[in-house]
Amino acid sequence: MALLEIRDLGVSFDTNDGVVNAVNGVSLDLARGQTLGIVGESGSGKSQLAFAIMGLLAKNGHARGSVRFDGQEILNAPPAIINPIRAMKIAMVFQDPMTSLNPYMRVSDQMAEVLVHHKGMAKSEAVAECVRMLDAVKIPDAKGRVGLYPHEFSGGMRQRVMIAMSLLCRPELLIADEPTTALDVTVQAQIMALLADLQRDFGMATILITHDLGVVAGFCEEVLVLYGGQVMEKSPVDPLFGAPSHPYTRGLLRAIPRVDQHGEDLDSIPGSPPNMTRAPKGCPFAPRCDFAGEDCHDHLDPLTEFTPGRWRACNRKLEEIA
Amino acid sequence: MLSYIAKRLAIAVPTLLLLIIISFLLMHAAPGGPFTQERALPPQVLANLEAKYGLDQPLWRQMATYVWGIVSDFDFGPSFIYKDRTVNEIIAQGFPVTLTYGSLSFVLAVAVGVTLGVFAAIWHNSWLDYLAVGISIGAQVLPNFVMAPILVLVFTLWLRWLPGGGWEGGAWQYIVMPVIALSTSFMASIARITRSSMLEVLNSNHIRTARAKGLPERKVILRHALKPAMLPVISYLGPAFVTMITGSVVVDIYFSTGGIGKSFVDSALNRDYAVMMGVTILVGALTILFNLVVDILYAWIDPKIRY
Amino acid sequence: MVIDATKMKSLGDRLAAEEVRGRSPWADARKRFFRNKAAVAGLVLLILVGLFALFGNSLAAWSNEELDFTVMGQVAELGGPSFASGHYFGTDDLGRDLFARTVQGTRISLMVGIVGSAIAVVAGTLYGATAGYVGGRIDNVMMRTVDILMSIPYMFVLILLLVIFGRSIAMLFVGIGLISWLDMSRIVRGQTLSLKHKEFIEAAQATGVPTFTIIRRHIVPNLLGVVAVYATLLVPLMILTESFISFLGLGVQEPLTSWGALISEGAGTISYGTLWQLAFPLFFFIITLFAFFFVGDGLRDALDPKDR
Repeated sequence: MALLEIRDLGVSFDTNDGVVNAVNGVSLDLARGQTLGIVGESGSGKSQLAFAIMGLLAKNGHARGSVRFDGQEILNAPPAIINPIRAMKIAMVFQDPMTSLNPYMRVSDQMAEVLVHHKGMAKSEAVAECVRMLDAVKIPDAKGRVGLYPHEFSGGMRQRVMIAMSLLCRPELLIADEPTTALDVTVQAQIMALLADLQRDFGMATILITHDLGVVAGFCEEVLVLYGGQVMEKSPVDPLFGAPSHPYTRGLLRAIPRVDQHGEDLDSIPGSPPNMTRAPKGCPFAPRCDFAGEDCHDHLDPLTEFTPGRWRACNRKLEEIA
Repeated sequence: MLSYIAKRLAIAVPTLLLLIIISFLLMHAAPGGPFTQERALPPQVLANLEAKYGLDQPLWRQMATYVWGIVSDFDFGPSFIYKDRTVNEIIAQGFPVTLTYGSLSFVLAVAVGVTLGVFAAIWHNSWLDYLAVGISIGAQVLPNFVMAPILVLVFTLWLRWLPGGGWEGGAWQYIVMPVIALSTSFMASIARITRSSMLEVLNSNHIRTARAKGLPERKVILRHALKPAMLPVISYLGPAFVTMITGSVVVDIYFSTGGIGKSFVDSALNRDYAVMMGVTILVGALTILFNLVVDILYAWIDPKIRY
Repeated sequence: MVIDATKMKSLGDRLAAEEVRGRSPWADARKRFFRNKAAVAGLVLLILVGLFALFGNSLAAWSNEELDFTVMGQVAELGGPSFASGHYFGTDDLGRDLFARTVQGTRISLMVGIVGSAIAVVAGTLYGATAGYVGGRIDNVMMRTVDILMSIPYMFVLILLLVIFGRSIAMLFVGIGLISWLDMSRIVRGQTLSLKHKEFIEAAQATGVPTFTIIRRHIVPNLLGVVAVYATLLVPLMILTESFISFLGLGVQEPLTSWGALISEGAGTISYGTLWQLAFPLFFFIITLFAFFFVGDGLRDALDPKDR
């Protein structure tokens, strides 16, 4: 049995401008210890997907479908079920370490609170464990700095604190929501390297949410490409980069700057992500797709396995988009 | 922390001196000067003033005497109207009254306002939220001078539950209406501020982190949301204190409670400048002291403020 | 007292943010404002109160200074509101027509509110924008001064002023004007400061747009929203201040009157059973304050649309 089974997950928000459908019918399985990348542009619904799993949607958000963790249904679960799973079984690292840590609490207090609450540890014991974890995420002088406030750390160090905090209870699944987006490029690489090390050491399943295909390439075994809240392509990482099966994935790959292609213009995908207030009908990518036909605006073929392990949702045949 | 307090004090002291000097100069700028009014001062009063300040002395020396009297002995000098009373005596009579109903109003406004605001935010868009918003919108057009007659109308004239005024050494029947009249609009403002800042905090990223830790909602609110949500409330307390002490003037007049507001208006109508200045400076000093407390409280909650 | 710092800050942040869409935020705001029922109702009320103040006198059967000798001494019995006697709102304790007096009080209170707010807009914007734009030491000194002035119990000083220099409307304006701009200058300074470091200002500077054009095209329009909202919310505060002073009998003097003075008179006579003397001025006072708050809030929400 897979660790995480998501079936037909949908997320929508009630806003002043009407209902926004952020995620539409996403299904996926994640085995223990597996690493999955979820890739998409901003607004593709990838963060909301993560929040829906954790039950952290904003108040005007609604989730439909099913999310099973270890066989237990956790989507829209009451606090009595979801709270013991949060941090203990599924932990999350957020995008912006500047604002995701509580600025009014010492790092020791906000970290130790997790262990005190979930494991009933004494405060001093918990702080000692926090220091060990801060050492593990390579914060120099962890013992001396555990009593500081978040604003006394740099951005990269704060994200390390965030990661250390998420790992305190040795979760079985870590969801990292754009963990490096808010950081400097050099720091980004360090944090990704750290995450990769920790993933190997702790052996936890990991979902990495990012808009950066480059990050996925070095970290994940499998990739899910999301567009307009729908899965466009799902594939192991190497074949995806070698032979992308979806026009959107191709566009994304062509938009990555490469050192070995001097002088050529970088390709961008024309147009902008879809307005999600409209009910999804047809392929969300159709307005920007070079290969779109009339039919693409009306319906989208469901996600189908075209080679063992690789799935795509596209009305055009693979050869047609070559 | 100590050096922070010292720094704040270093600003507070000149502010107070400035206030004293401004009021003293204002007094001397009065048409014809403070001592030669349309109505001649009683000879005994004039003699008191002469003895205290030396009215033949140059202005700066009179001012120096006045300021030094306040700084060294907390002595505001003799009254301009009553020959055998000093300003200190007049203030000492009313101050305990003002302090009693003032602090009760303040505590009531903060306690009820914060509670209402917090629950309105937690149960956003519930009936309680709508009720709190309704009350706070309604109460902002009910300042003390509107509340006072309405309360008297309802509780004294219609229901005949409470006496319409007086103090009687602070018996509870005499305190109820002054306290309600004085606190209503502040309660409403505090509730509004608490609600909107709590809503803001509850939508912030670090609260999402706290929820992701699996903490129960009660702990999320008490440990993570309450402190930051209180910051705007705390910065409002300074101005609220000033406006409240100002409102005590209305309470003293309308309910005949006999606090310092009464001395102030009486002296204003009598042109007893010494008492007016004394009250103004006392209120100014209290305000500055209170702002200092507020600043310290703020710095204590917000670690980003370095002392 | 009623201006919510959190919301003002949020509004400031939003108005300082870079405009991504081509459409001006004002066009959007106008649409949102007119969708807000409370704000539109407030606007309609304000127009009605304004018409009452301007043209109420031509409806009045009595002037505000005439004494009606037939009701004198029997105000409680004969001075009640009635169309027959021409006293639509009844008479005051001296037998003067309360309708005419309310019209006059409305004029003066509105004038004090609007002039006070206008002083705040001009002085506060100039002071705050200067401090924010110049920055550095001058900014520091200017803002310290504001801090010091703010910690002075202004109502007491204002009363001191009124007593020493005589009670008059002009003095009242001076006094209210002296204090009303302080908050405004702080808000404007904060807004200017955050604008100064925005990318679109830096971009304009980098592409060689002249300073004056930057101020005109970028700083002022972005200040406008905050200033407009704040000024609207300041009018009722000024009216409250004036009413407070007049309630104590230290503000507007007879034969002139204002809402505060009328409420004070009405409050003083409620035990004689002449409730209308409190009710009518209070009614105008309350609906006008409400109207200003709703319009101000509506304006702010229109410019800073957030679900709250």
